[in-house]
Amino acid sequence: MISLLDIAERTQTGEKVEEKTWDMEFFQTISGLVKKYRIQYPGGDSYINVDDSLVERAFEAGLECLERLGIYCITTRRRVKLNREEIMTAIREAPNEILMGEGRDRRIWKQRKVEEKEMLNVCPGHHTPYTEDLAGLIIKNFAQIPRTDFIEGFNFSKVEDRDIIGPPMEVYASRREVGWMREGVRKAGRPGLAIVYYPINTRAEDLICVMDPDCGLRRTDGILLSLLPDLKMEQDMLSAAIVYEEYGCFKLSGSFAIAGGFCGGIEGAIVEGIVKPIAAMIAYRDYIHYTGIEHVHMLNGRQILIPGVNWARSVVNQALNRFTHTICMRWIIPTSGAGTELNLLEIAMQSTEAPINGMNLYAPRHCRTTTNHGQTPLEAEWMIEVSDAVIEQAFDRKSANEFIGKLAKRFEGAKPQDGYSVTECYDLVHHNPKPEYEKVYMGVKKELKEMGLNLG
Amino acid sequence: MEYSKLTDKEKALLDSLRDAIVVIDTEAAKEAAQKIIDAQIDPRVALKHSIAEAAELVGAKFDCGELFLPHLVMVGDLMEEVGTILEKDIPPDQIQKKKVIVIATVQGDMHSIGKNIVSTMLRSSGFIIHDMGVDVPSTAIIQKAKEVKAEMIALSSLLTTTMPYQKEVIDDLVSMRLRDQFKVMVGGGPVTRQYAESIGADGYGKDAIEALEEAKRLLL
Repeated sequence: MISLLDIAERTQTGEKVEEKTWDMEFFQTISGLVKKYRIQYPGGDSYINVDDSLVERAFEAGLECLERLGIYCITTRRRVKLNREEIMTAIREAPNEILMGEGRDRRIWKQRKVEEKEMLNVCPGHHTPYTEDLAGLIIKNFAQIPRTDFIEGFNFSKVEDRDIIGPPMEVYASRREVGWMREGVRKAGRPGLAIVYYPINTRAEDLICVMDPDCGLRRTDGILLSLLPDLKMEQDMLSAAIVYEEYGCFKLSGSFAIAGGFCGGIEGAIVEGIVKPIAAMIAYRDYIHYTGIEHVHMLNGRQILIPGVNWARSVVNQALNRFTHTICMRWIIPTSGAGTELNLLEIAMQSTEAPINGMNLYAPRHCRTTTNHGQTPLEAEWMIEVSDAVIEQAFDRKSANEFIGKLAKRFEGAKPQDGYSVTECYDLVHHNPKPEYEKVYMGVKKELKEMGLNLG
Repeated sequence: MEYSKLTDKEKALLDSLRDAIVVIDTEAAKEAAQKIIDAQIDPRVALKHSIAEAAELVGAKFDCGELFLPHLVMVGDLMEEVGTILEKDIPPDQIQKKKVIVIATVQGDMHSIGKNIVSTMLRSSGFIIHDMGVDVPSTAIIQKAKEVKAEMIALSSLLTTTMPYQKEVIDDLVSMRLRDQFKVMVGGGPVTRQYAESIGADGYGKDAIEALEEAKRLLL
């Protein structure tokens, strides 16, 4: 596989391109490929893709996209060009499973198959901001969910009651974050559980300062080093990738495309969604990815469902699972907040998609999360409950599509609900939803059983 | 002269300019702009009617998912070209000065898509935009705002840990005794209206549509 040193060199010697020129070239290239490879949303009630030839064409479109464009380094404003052989070698040589954690908490994260029959890997929580006073309890609560295979860190704006401003304080805060993570998993009785560092900031010093086998990231832990939208990379992240590649941590990337941005609509997002994990793997050696597509209006909380988004997500993940070793995760980002009926229904919809399209499960979190308002352990447990039921009931693409269609009708005419803070709707001391939230959960569970899902 | 006082033929010309911009037909738009000049219609009416209406229609199409970010960029470029044609015959002292906005994602933050959408939406609605990109220090933002004589500074932050850099810009403006010179609007995923008020920002946009309304409220 092309080395990170080669990548680093190309960020310094590649063709100079202004960012605006790159953005429009990106859009025009993808628009052309969508037409060339006839990538088109079939419309109607299509939530899960059943057209395998479309998946093949979409994958070819992705390969051609990466070969023509390369990756854009925003630090140096240069194009990192890749040839087809380099791309195919990287795809072939990427691992399809990652070993993480230690001792009895050692886990294998695996690539999944379309219509997966094995229970999925799970990261139940975080990637959402909390105040430091909740740090210990929050991590413990999520880590003690039995199916947790790794846990990701979280953001916060104050450390020891001071605003975090400037690199030295960011470094200090970064080390505190990982320290809390280590302590939290230990308190949950899972000292060897893999933790993934969620960067406070993307400066190289903030990314690297947490390497510390004694009280920071161990070699069996991970770090989030995401490629930016529109196939953009930057040198601080690459520097960190080089260091971590030698240290030993595994790496993750937020590799989903955002429809409505420079990739265009959902069809363009399919092309970017396929390319991005491959590019992230080449640029930073990321092997685990949040994959698929989102839509800018859903991420903004303006609309719950947009026609074609589920289908497009499905095409992306099916392509990645059939033609690459990408280890896909479904990051569930409901438009409604924690503690609400619509939040649980949105999670149910995407937890049904996940095993069908070959995705592991990742921390459900409100799209417009604010401090302490993003998630509770119940949503993670619900995500696992639904996807396990889908697997046990042997849903295939057709039956999953019908079931998701029923769920979609629940969102017709609905507006996202704001939701509650974690302490408003969840008892972190006793690891239980508060009575009102429990009632909401039981109501949604009953509804899904009536729709035909065998929940215990 | 007001639009309502124009002849039907003249109104049709203005409407054709608006429609050409909305479908991003560069040649048709430039042709329509020239025809408006040739017909001796007051170009200020065209700017007010055709361009402003086109901006609203394009904004609505983006909002309902018909158009995407690249289209907003193309519309912004087209509006500038058309504006150049229309403004050629307007005495400089009679050209309505466009408001200038400096926009950036704050220091330490690499997220750009929200900022890009706001930036292009503002530009296609008639503001002059200086987009400084991502990870921009406070001093650079303020320096740029002074240099281009901006009326507003718009700051985006998508990480909780970079929100304090929005406050830093405002605090720096105060300490440099420049606070009164610029309106400050903030936004981004974790940013709330309460936070905006707490740090002394003048405006807050939950998304691009709100950001546009706020910019109009604060500057027009």
